[in-house]
Amino acid sequence: MNTNARYPGYDVLAKWDSPSFDDSTRRVLGRRLDDVPPRRFLSEAEWDLLEAVNRRLLPQPDRLEPIPITPWIDAMLMENLGEGFRHPDMPPLRECWRLGLAALADEARCRHGRDFTALDAAEQDVLLQALAVQDVRSPQWQALHPERFFTHWLLKTAAGIYYAHPWAWSEIGFGGPASPRGYVRLGFDSRDPWEARAGKAKDPG
Amino acid sequence: MTPLARTASGPGARALGALTLGLTLAAVLAARSRPRSVRPARPMHAPAPLRSADPEARAAGQLYLSSAMLAASVLSDSALEHYRGGFENPGMFAPLASAALVLAGAANGARRPGRSVAALPFGAACAIGMAGLGFHVYNVLRRPGGLSWGNLFYAAPVGAPAALSLAGLLGLAAREVGRGEANLAGMPRGRALGMLAAAGLAGTSMEAALLHFRGAYHNPAMWLPVGLPPVGAALLAAASAPAAPSRRRSRLARGWLAATAWLGAGGVAFHAFGIARQMGGWRNWSQNLLSGPPLPAPPSFSALALAGRAALALRAREPAWREAA
Amino acid sequence: MDYLPRTGQGRAPDVFERGGWMPMREYRDDEAVDFAIVGAGAGGSTLACKLAEAGFSVVVLEAGPFWRPLEDFASDEEAQQQLYWLDERLTSGADPIALGGNNSGWGVGGSTVHFSMISLRFRPEWFRSRSLLGYGVDWPLSYEEMAPYYEEAERALAISGPLRYPWGPPHRRYPYREHEMNAAGLVLARGAERMGVAWSAVPLATVSAPRGKSPPCVYRGFCNFGCSTNAKQSALVVWIPRALRAGAEVRDLAMAGRIELHANGLASGVHYRRSGQWRFQRARNVVVAGYAIETPRLLLNSSCPSFPQGLANRSGLVGTHLTTHAGPGVWARFDEEIRWNKGPPNMAVCEHWNYTDDGKDFAGGYAFMSQGPLPRAWAQLVATSRQLWGGRLREAMLDYNYMSGLVAVAETEPRPGNRVILADERDRHGLPIAHVEFSYSDNDRRMQEHARRYMGRMLEAAGGKDPWTSEDTSHILGTCRMGDNPETSVVDSIGRSWDVRNLWICDGSLFPTSGGVNPSLTIQALACRIGDRIRTLSARGEL
Repeated sequence: MNTNARYPGYDVLAKWDSPSFDDSTRRVLGRRLDDVPPRRFLSEAEWDLLEAVNRRLLPQPDRLEPIPITPWIDAMLMENLGEGFRHPDMPPLRECWRLGLAALADEARCRHGRDFTALDAAEQDVLLQALAVQDVRSPQWQALHPERFFTHWLLKTAAGIYYAHPWAWSEIGFGGPASPRGYVRLGFDSRDPWEARAGKAKDPG
Repeated sequence: MTPLARTASGPGARALGALTLGLTLAAVLAARSRPRSVRPARPMHAPAPLRSADPEARAAGQLYLSSAMLAASVLSDSALEHYRGGFENPGMFAPLASAALVLAGAANGARRPGRSVAALPFGAACAIGMAGLGFHVYNVLRRPGGLSWGNLFYAAPVGAPAALSLAGLLGLAAREVGRGEANLAGMPRGRALGMLAAAGLAGTSMEAALLHFRGAYHNPAMWLPVGLPPVGAALLAAASAPAAPSRRRSRLARGWLAATAWLGAGGVAFHAFGIARQMGGWRNWSQNLLSGPPLPAPPSFSALALAGRAALALRAREPAWREAA
Repeated sequence: MDYLPRTGQGRAPDVFERGGWMPMREYRDDEAVDFAIVGAGAGGSTLACKLAEAGFSVVVLEAGPFWRPLEDFASDEEAQQQLYWLDERLTSGADPIALGGNNSGWGVGGSTVHFSMISLRFRPEWFRSRSLLGYGVDWPLSYEEMAPYYEEAERALAISGPLRYPWGPPHRRYPYREHEMNAAGLVLARGAERMGVAWSAVPLATVSAPRGKSPPCVYRGFCNFGCSTNAKQSALVVWIPRALRAGAEVRDLAMAGRIELHANGLASGVHYRRSGQWRFQRARNVVVAGYAIETPRLLLNSSCPSFPQGLANRSGLVGTHLTTHAGPGVWARFDEEIRWNKGPPNMAVCEHWNYTDDGKDFAGGYAFMSQGPLPRAWAQLVATSRQLWGGRLREAMLDYNYMSGLVAVAETEPRPGNRVILADERDRHGLPIAHVEFSYSDNDRRMQEHARRYMGRMLEAAGGKDPWTSEDTSHILGTCRMGDNPETSVVDSIGRSWDVRNLWICDGSLFPTSGGVNPSLTIQALACRIGDRIRTLSARGEL
């Protein structure tokens, strides 16, 4: 898919020095762009597995340099800072991810006799979809709820990290940071000059 | 159930807008192709042409200046606001072109009030202003809510196009006075102009009242353009009544109009302060010039006050007045 | 991120000046203050202000930081997760409520720092839901008693609202005028007009013109992630500065852990943890204002021999009758660009089903509003609601600027099984954490179904294509409800505990029913009323 299809030439970061960005925003986004954390919490195998999963959840064939997702999950686990709530049938944050990834790895071995990372994309998708509909075979899922793990841990986290990245904002034509300068034109089909301009017709290109 | 509200101007409105713009541009071209000063054949009953030193010439000059000031205000205000509206209807260029024409013609007339200036720019402005009024009313009515406070606050300002018509009328009046005409619209010219300026002041004041009301009168100074000019308008209207007023009252009216003129200048300073007070102040000019208080608006009070003073000066020269005083 | 306390040494942050300070009076832990208030949110901050201005000595203990909006708030959803209560809680039941950023704030100002500023009054009849409308329970006070306090709160918050609001009894004009409606709100307006029902601009607690040091809203749309403009009239910028000026002390990063009961049966003070140390603030009165989860949690964690099932819990009702607002949503794509992130997230409202009692197969009411989610939140909603991932998710997200939606604020029934209890797990302070249990009733489900259908019709009437639905909740209420009977309530009509006469509740826990509108204005009005009544009682020597 072509990320430039909808908003050709729009880069939210072009407004870095404009009144749309302030110091606190630059500080935060600078870290997101330049200080991608290294692997500190997950094991190498866990990391590779999660990378493979994220490549299916948010595929980025159009990017030479993809938006990083796994490093931020690793950082979250390192800091042990989650959303602030969980269902009682899910273990606490770190344990949940560890057990979930282990169960996922085991699921691949149960179904295919191979590692998840050794499956092809279609097989990986089928396996993830199985989690989503609770159709699991590994006994390790007794420790946690597979559908919840897939939807509210794997997918929700990956989607949140992806769309917290400025490149994703440019992709969808989001105006981006807006302080002190907000917006003037609030009506239908009304674009402020510092917003993304939509390309031609809305075909997926 | 209110009529279906479309988001952008419908195709009919845009066609009308394009037509308005076309007529405006035609007027621009026509004005440019005409010789600068046209001296029509003098009818037998017409008085002798004025010399610059004449009080009538001075009054005509003031009227041209007033027209120019009002046109300049309309030009910059409509440019900002229509830019904010994205010029989504081609007719939104019309008031810019028309106001520019009036400004050029009136500025020319102000330099040499005795010499006659083309009527077309001013006449066209009257018509385009009225067309604008129609478009603005349509803009308010077509939005969800129709005639509602929300739309009165934020949709096209209903009274603003009248300023363009006023600028045109003042220019036409200046022309007539400059040519030595004693009557305008069937009335002694001082009275006619006094009524016109009074109406203009009252209308502008109402527009300011509406927008300052939108701003919740958060600063007490916002009451000034609501309180001061209407008194001036009333004094001016009283002075324009058939019975001649006393000297004291006419001095009071002149003084009040002078204060109103200063208010116009002060208003610009207040609005600049208002822009500074918005988030990001002047550094965030790309937002605040458009969403903050409009800089070009207050001088319209000065323009109309000046026209009012010219009207009083002309009134003072009328035979009935001279006799009473 | 490491947070360090900012208040102390005679000063507290001045939220209107970068790096600025304002003087703050301080009280010694070992000298009893008149009121120790736990929680600096909508209830706690408002009451702190009222009490301090009435001359009482007040200390506010807030678990989170004292924010400096001009410097701390980035235009970034991810970074601003810091505004939420992220310490662990459990949530279960047939319909588990999402917590954290969904409804729980952390820091001075509480949830008013991240809320959507919707400031609506209750329908008058809701104060007598059972007697007048045949469902729920009656409140121990009437709309007439609340009206002057609604007005006080509206004026204090400089609410920017319409000159004519279509529903409810007429009241004094909102101090500021309504904001310019954004396209997302115009979608609701257009749909409502085509369906022949009323709609309105939402009265919002963010200013449409300058107010003191607050510039007007710049329509940046990050309202749920902290207002760096300071146009938002949160408790942080309205009530807390007033409270500080009147002599109150605010202690940030001070986590209350237990309320101590004196042998004489009165509360003697609050144990709290600050800078790693447990301390004890003596107080003549204790107010618990931690919102509907932390308030019952603190009471349950304060059990003692006189109150084995939780402090002030003779009724057994502490933590029970939890209500929330169901938030069914309908979303659709439009041909026009909406760019719904511009402006506050909820600018237009329809309260038709709050004020219409016929033609409903359910009891109670709901309002619904236009929406304006930012990309991270939107992506998570799209992914989890529609089970979209992979290329299909990225594809769907490309429609971001063309989307519009409606989400309801729908009453749920107060039932004993919906509750907050303690779990065995402990948090980083060593305190047992809260476990929230919640399930919808049949009535709740019928209401949501009705809302989904109605909002769906309205979106399509407005020109929306390919609609789909989502589920959510907002707000948490009712867990220490007021009443006029100690058997059926935890506190009386002014939030005073029946069991411990110097213990007060002042937050959303008070609500016997949830009503069909956002609670913040009602919480602040209740706090104004409680402050007033305390002042009267004190003058009469009845405190």
